[in-house]
Amino acid sequence: MYDAPKSLETTLDQKTIKITARDVQVYYGENHAIKDVSVDIQANTVTAFIGPSGCGKSTFLRCINRMNDTIDICRVEGSIQLDGEDIYDKRVDPVQLRAKVGMVFQKPNPFPKSIYDNIAYGPRIHGLATSKADLDDIVEKSLRRGAIWNEVKDRLHAPGTGLSGGQQQRLCIARAIATEPEVLLMDEPCSALDPIATAQVEELIDELRQQYSVVIVTHSMQQAARVSQKTAFFHLGNLVEFGDTAQIFTNPEDSRTESYITGRIG
Amino acid sequence: MMNDGKHIASAFDRDLESVQAKILKMGGLVEASIKDSSSALDNRDEELAEKVRKGDAAIDALDEQINDEVANLIALRAPTAVDLRTVLAIMRMTSNLERIGDLSKNMAKRSNVLGQLTQIEGATGSVRRMARAVEAMLKDALDAFIQRDEDLARDVIERDREVDEMYNTLFREFLTFMLEDPRNITACMHLHFIAKNVERMGDHVTSIAEQVLFYVTGDYPEGDRPKADVTATDRSFSPESELD
Repeated sequence: MYDAPKSLETTLDQKTIKITARDVQVYYGENHAIKDVSVDIQANTVTAFIGPSGCGKSTFLRCINRMNDTIDICRVEGSIQLDGEDIYDKRVDPVQLRAKVGMVFQKPNPFPKSIYDNIAYGPRIHGLATSKADLDDIVEKSLRRGAIWNEVKDRLHAPGTGLSGGQQQRLCIARAIATEPEVLLMDEPCSALDPIATAQVEELIDELRQQYSVVIVTHSMQQAARVSQKTAFFHLGNLVEFGDTAQIFTNPEDSRTESYITGRIG
Repeated sequence: MMNDGKHIASAFDRDLESVQAKILKMGGLVEASIKDSSSALDNRDEELAEKVRKGDAAIDALDEQINDEVANLIALRAPTAVDLRTVLAIMRMTSNLERIGDLSKNMAKRSNVLGQLTQIEGATGSVRRMARAVEAMLKDALDAFIQRDEDLARDVIERDREVDEMYNTLFREFLTFMLEDPRNITACMHLHFIAKNVERMGDHVTSIAEQVLFYVTGDYPEGDRPKADVTATDRSFSPESELD
């Protein structure tokens, strides 16, 4: 029923490749956390990274916007290209990179500022707005795309921290997309949310796919199955299997993937 | 039973084992039903035919239980990969088995009527041979399921051709009997329904073997099923057209 991929570097259909990672190694001091990972992330696609705790999926996600730069003992080798440009090139400014590659974390972390300022912060420091009206526009557009506008439009100057957990997370997603990124990285974005807020965020992820490449790390198999088109399974720092989500969940090639997604003792 | 590793949630294993045990039990009942109904036909054994008719209720009850358990498994365990394929295969296999049970029961019903009619030389023996072939296919399809034997499942699918060919031969024979003597018509009509039922059973067994292939490999067989029942298209099966 499904065409099983013949190798980890699956032949991709016509979709553009947004991120190309080749032979990526990550070391935390002596600890070899990511081993030889090569993967292509497509544009307009949700890619899910799954795997047991400590398998390297979050570490690899953090490599994509150089979040690991902030960890002294962390060393990244190999190449990661965004639209064909090496993001670890010395000329690349990590701050500019992170404007292009936005991130949403596990725990909603709004700034201790108003809802408006949470969104306006990024566009302000990156000089994306030329006037107050411009900025107002960006704030409204981002909140709308974050599917939270209707809930906050009458209290834009209330503190972002006063929102519910699910609203805070959608605010953080709206903040992440306010700088018009091309890639959105999400590290367990729903693990602190109830099922309704989770469903809202998942619906949002599906809409965001029209414009962005989304990479999501999740511990929920069902979430990976629901939101992604491509799934990558990590185990002990290796990328074990990468393929169409439907194939991974009906007929995985590798027995380690099978054990993990079916909940067996591997 | 059928998968290598145990689930971390042992209740999941228990649920899967329960539904697997039920489908095998159902398969056993259906095998016995085919054997008994064809034997009842061949030996004019009304008691055995009655047993088959009554026994179908147990098959239907298992079908219902399996469907309930499968629905629960899907709702509560959200099976994936080999678990999902197991559950889907069983869900379809139970429908096929239930249908075979009905066809067998129908054969048992007609065998009683046939007991009152003119005997057709050799016919019930031929039907019984055909039923034996289907029964053996079913046994192998279920063994292929238990042993996850891809080759055996393919072999079963291939063997449906032989059943079709036996049906073609019977179709011709019944026509000849009816052309010879109109007093044979009633018996031949019943016998033809029976033969067609057995041919349909073969198709259901083929479908079960296809489910086994899906369960083992994740794929359905490519291309068309081997088909040898040509009675619907071959003009030589309409001898009266030559009488015009």
